[in-house]
Amino acid sequence: MRWLTLYLRSRRVPVALATAVGGMVVMWVLGSAVSDGGPGVKMVVLTVLLLVVVLTATLSGPDEELDRTAARPWPPRRVSHLLAALAVVAGLPFLTHLTGISFGPAGPVIRDAAGLLGLAALSAPLLGAGRAWFVPLGWTLAAAVYPAAGHLLGEILTWQSQAADSTPAAVTAAVLAGSGLIAYASAGPARRTPAEAAL
Amino acid sequence: MSRMLRIELRRSAALGAALVLLLTGGIMCYAAPQRWSSSWMALAMIEREYLVLILPLALAAGAWQGRRESRNGLAELVRSTPRPRPQQVMPILGALGIAVAGGYLAVLAVAAPRIAGTARYLPAAAFAVVAVGVLAVVAAAWLGLAAGRLWPSVAAGPVLALAGLGWLMGFPGIAHGQEWLGALFSPMYGMSQYSDYETVSGRLSAAQAVWLVALVVGGYVLHVAQSRRARAASLLPVALGVAVAIAVMPHDRYLPRAIDRVAQELVCTTDAPKVCVARVHSTLLPEVTPRARQALALLARLPRPPAEAHEDTTTWGRDLPEPRPDPAGIALMTITVDDRGHLASPADLVPQTVTRVLGNQGRCPDGLSWSALRAATYWLVGTEPPAEPGFDDDGEWNDHVGQLWRSLRELPEADALARVTAVREGALRCADLDEMLSGK
Repeated sequence: MRWLTLYLRSRRVPVALATAVGGMVVMWVLGSAVSDGGPGVKMVVLTVLLLVVVLTATLSGPDEELDRTAARPWPPRRVSHLLAALAVVAGLPFLTHLTGISFGPAGPVIRDAAGLLGLAALSAPLLGAGRAWFVPLGWTLAAAVYPAAGHLLGEILTWQSQAADSTPAAVTAAVLAGSGLIAYASAGPARRTPAEAAL
Repeated sequence: MSRMLRIELRRSAALGAALVLLLTGGIMCYAAPQRWSSSWMALAMIEREYLVLILPLALAAGAWQGRRESRNGLAELVRSTPRPRPQQVMPILGALGIAVAGGYLAVLAVAAPRIAGTARYLPAAAFAVVAVGVLAVVAAAWLGLAAGRLWPSVAAGPVLALAGLGWLMGFPGIAHGQEWLGALFSPMYGMSQYSDYETVSGRLSAAQAVWLVALVVGGYVLHVAQSRRARAASLLPVALGVAVAIAVMPHDRYLPRAIDRVAQELVCTTDAPKVCVARVHSTLLPEVTPRARQALALLARLPRPPAEAHEDTTTWGRDLPEPRPDPAGIALMTITVDDRGHLASPADLVPQTVTRVLGNQGRCPDGLSWSALRAATYWLVGTEPPAEPGFDDDGEWNDHVGQLWRSLRELPEADALARVTAVREGALRCADLDEMLSGK
């Protein structure tokens, strides 16, 4: 328990969780203010994106080098970290079903949550956790604003905003989620000196 | 100072930001070149629409850069230097501003070669449209810089980017149908052209420039500010700019689409028969002329044939104009531009022009028989009507047109010509063209 508390604190999870919940509340308020029939696809995609980028910051601690000297196996912990993040990202929009304004059907929300978290986890070993948000952000902004449906390449490139029954989108999300999980679990976030590490 | 600026340009997020803007804008432009291939104005406007992605990224880049000092644990050290704060932050403000402005302009530079050979008409309004876009990205980067310093968290960049996107896309909706307000404060709103003659009114550009300059100043003051009072003062220029912009802008609930009358003016060949296209399409004249003349030659067999071919420069507003016959003696052509800036489907221009003359505008309460018009057109053209795609009736409609065309061919020439003439006259009265064609 003590280890868990220290771990969560070193990853700044409380702040990230508070930001995520705050962001969800803001999106919920906006969703109930702007639209009549519940938030649209764009809004749901952007909400999932917001939750993912906020939690991406927790993918590394202040000193990655120091972490790695610990005599504990990291891969299972990293996997559980990602799975817990997935539960938060998919769970918060699910909570809105209790209210009148529900954020999206569960299928696309889980697909986007898994795919985007995978993408962030895939970027973390390459760019560092402090910069990993950029890839999901850049890709999803474009895909949410200009969704392309009806042809294979378009559905793969804009998988985040496809309908629930789109197989190419689901496959793309699954590939990203799987490869992100493997890459992050095995490699961990990019190592940087403490001064450069994300705060 | 310039040495510090050079160092900041090299060592900060500036170059990366410029590259990200260039990549995003370039990919968006080349993903759909037909949206901007028609003119310089179209290119300037489409990049303003892509601000929806570019501006959030500029905000995120600013926020990323803004937390540099606290990220590296240098905030206190930097604060302790004796240099006044405006001097201290000028290099990074300058570097980031230059970078995002350069990135925005570089998108135009990579798109320009594609249409440099075909686009000629360059109105002053296009420069205003680009200038407003540059102001928007600089304002976004500086605001991001200030926000990143005040909220030095990893999440600041992406959250700001999402907020920026939400503002650009959501504000016109929040403005509750007050289009002037939406267009004024969302610099991407209304930037996709409905016709090639469309422009952005000088007044709108001026009003947008006013509040965006105010936002740039506000971002600067916020980034320089060291006390709470000074930070609050950054709201002053913004409020002033917004007030002036609202005062400058006409408060039209429905913003009419601004039409550039100069772009719409006809540019004609000097030799007869005269062929004219709109100024914005003037480089297409050599491509249009032979086909237009071919159509005129085909139409010459009819009584009262048109003597000139003009581009149809009608623009549609919110209300459809009263239907009225096309001007006599002039064949109207619809000029569409393909994704390389040339005349789109040039082979279709001849039959299209002939159909337009035969069917006039085709705006009848019950519509006109399109199959009869098509058969008559291809009788004049002298070739078999090609199958029109887009019908899922197993080619039944195309077979029907083919039959009508064959029955016209089988008639003696004078009889067939009389029927085609009857079709042309019937179209003006909105008569049943099938009857005209079958000679009943």
